[in-house]
Amino acid sequence: MNVGLEHYLVVSAVLFALGLLGVVTRRNILVIYMSLELMLNAANLALVAFSRFNNNLDGQVMVFFIITVAAAEVAVGLALIVALYRRRQTTHVEDLNLLKH
Amino acid sequence: MEVLKLAAPETVLVVIALAVLAVDLLALRGQPVSMRFGIGAAVAGLGCAATMLMLLGRHAHANLFDGMLVVDPLTNVVKAAIVLLTLFTVLISTAGKFTEHVGEYLALILLATVGMMFLVSAEDLLMIFISLELLSLSLYVLTAFNKRNIKSAEAALKYFLFGGMAAAFTLFGLSLLYGMSGSTNLHRIAEGLAGKGMDPLLIVAVVTTLIGFGFKVAAVPFHLWAPDAYEGAPTPSAAFIATGSKVASFFILAKIMMIGFAGAEGSAAWRTFISGWMPAMALLAALSMVLGNLTAIAQTSLKRLLAYSAIAHGGYMLLAVMANNEAGMAGLLYYVITYGLATLGAFGVVQVVEDATGNDSIISFTGLSRRAPALSLCLLVFLLSLGGIPPLAGFFGKFFVFSAAVGADGNHLGLLWLVILAIAMSAVSFYYYLRVLKAAYVADGADVTQATNMMAVPVATLAALVLLAFLVVILGCAPALLMGLLQAGDQVGH
Repeated sequence: MNVGLEHYLVVSAVLFALGLLGVVTRRNILVIYMSLELMLNAANLALVAFSRFNNNLDGQVMVFFIITVAAAEVAVGLALIVALYRRRQTTHVEDLNLLKH
Repeated sequence: MEVLKLAAPETVLVVIALAVLAVDLLALRGQPVSMRFGIGAAVAGLGCAATMLMLLGRHAHANLFDGMLVVDPLTNVVKAAIVLLTLFTVLISTAGKFTEHVGEYLALILLATVGMMFLVSAEDLLMIFISLELLSLSLYVLTAFNKRNIKSAEAALKYFLFGGMAAAFTLFGLSLLYGMSGSTNLHRIAEGLAGKGMDPLLIVAVVTTLIGFGFKVAAVPFHLWAPDAYEGAPTPSAAFIATGSKVASFFILAKIMMIGFAGAEGSAAWRTFISGWMPAMALLAALSMVLGNLTAIAQTSLKRLLAYSAIAHGGYMLLAVMANNEAGMAGLLYYVITYGLATLGAFGVVQVVEDATGNDSIISFTGLSRRAPALSLCLLVFLLSLGGIPPLAGFFGKFFVFSAAVGADGNHLGLLWLVILAIAMSAVSFYYYLRVLKAAYVADGADVTQATNMMAVPVATLAALVLLAFLVVILGCAPALLMGLLQAGDQVGH
């Protein structure tokens, strides 16, 4: 079977949808983070595939930057979780209920 | 070397950020917080002032590395406005009691500013993404800075989760754009997309990009993080998120839509919708104006009220983006800059009252005119400007935006329905702004006794607020001062 651009795009779209589903339905903040990463990686996959089929390296360069930035984002995110856990002893989104109208 | 020359203002700010951090950690350890804040803010403020002079003093036109760093008069003016907002943010945080980590706090504010400045200069998807993340990551941390307040970490986490999702959406949209056009440069993308029509992939790209930026500028229905983040964050951080970051985000949103998606506009004219980014944005704008204004009425906390008012103002600003021409761009920038000045001022007043009374509910503002006359006069100017009362800057902002939207070429009054909605909704907004002013000026008899003692207002904060109020009045009396700069920059830029 010949794997074409559309196959990559379908996989990428599925990954993105799964990530979004995870972010929306999961209740543990750590799992939500993992789902967020999945969404970013869906974009990465699309970029690499486009880069290959466009014969142009810009997309792959961008992926390296995205991976680096995603690592920084996780660092900040985990720091925030630690800050929350110290005050509230929880990592569940249901317990984030102090801020309401 | 040319990079260093063209990015000199950004470089100066980075150096100043590191200097503030180093001075605070090495020399000022063990000193009282107020002194550390004073010295740190003086260094940061001088850096900001120097950066502004550099920005306004140069007339270079340059485009480095194929749109990675674009320098022209328009971006210089926008960057100078952002640095000015940063300067005022630094000034109103000097009286803050929310943290002992002064150096880190000021350094993060300056680094976020650098992110905004690179964002303003970017015409390339890669630079847009990186500078957007530099900005967002700094803002998440700034939101969480008040470790004593139990709400702060929660606010930051909510902001982070929504922001992370927004980044993923934006990135997915941008990756599709790159795929369809084979380039990461906005102008080249528009060329690549030209003549392809609205194929399904392009629709997905438009929608995901808009969702991502909708989160960033807090447009309904992607606004849920904003009131929580504003309420939980330390007040100066909230002010910074509501002002400087808005200026940069709206500028880049307008640039992506006007340059990158040129040719995929569609139409949002009444009853003749054509698919493209216009109808999607019209929906966001209409929802933001209606929901933002109506929800603001019900708020009791002034910070949440300002958050919903920010959402409503975001709706008006989207209208300017939809004008999709030079007048729209100039109107948008005038609006967002004057909105930034007034909102920053209002947050500054909130901070003083919050420090004195312990909370930011509207009841705490009762009798403010007697307890702190100068402060409440500033509040009056800021809120009336946000409401759009004629001699103040906010009125001209609305005037420029609405006239640009009505007169947009080729639309033949197509956006009139949105403008009418916007005008009706800004009438609603008077109600909640005046409610705050009523508490401040027309106190009920019962509250007067407990509200007669004077409120202590820190000198630096008061100076900053008076200056901000002065700017709002000046820009209202002579809108051409700023508008002239923006229009001149805009014409040369195209």
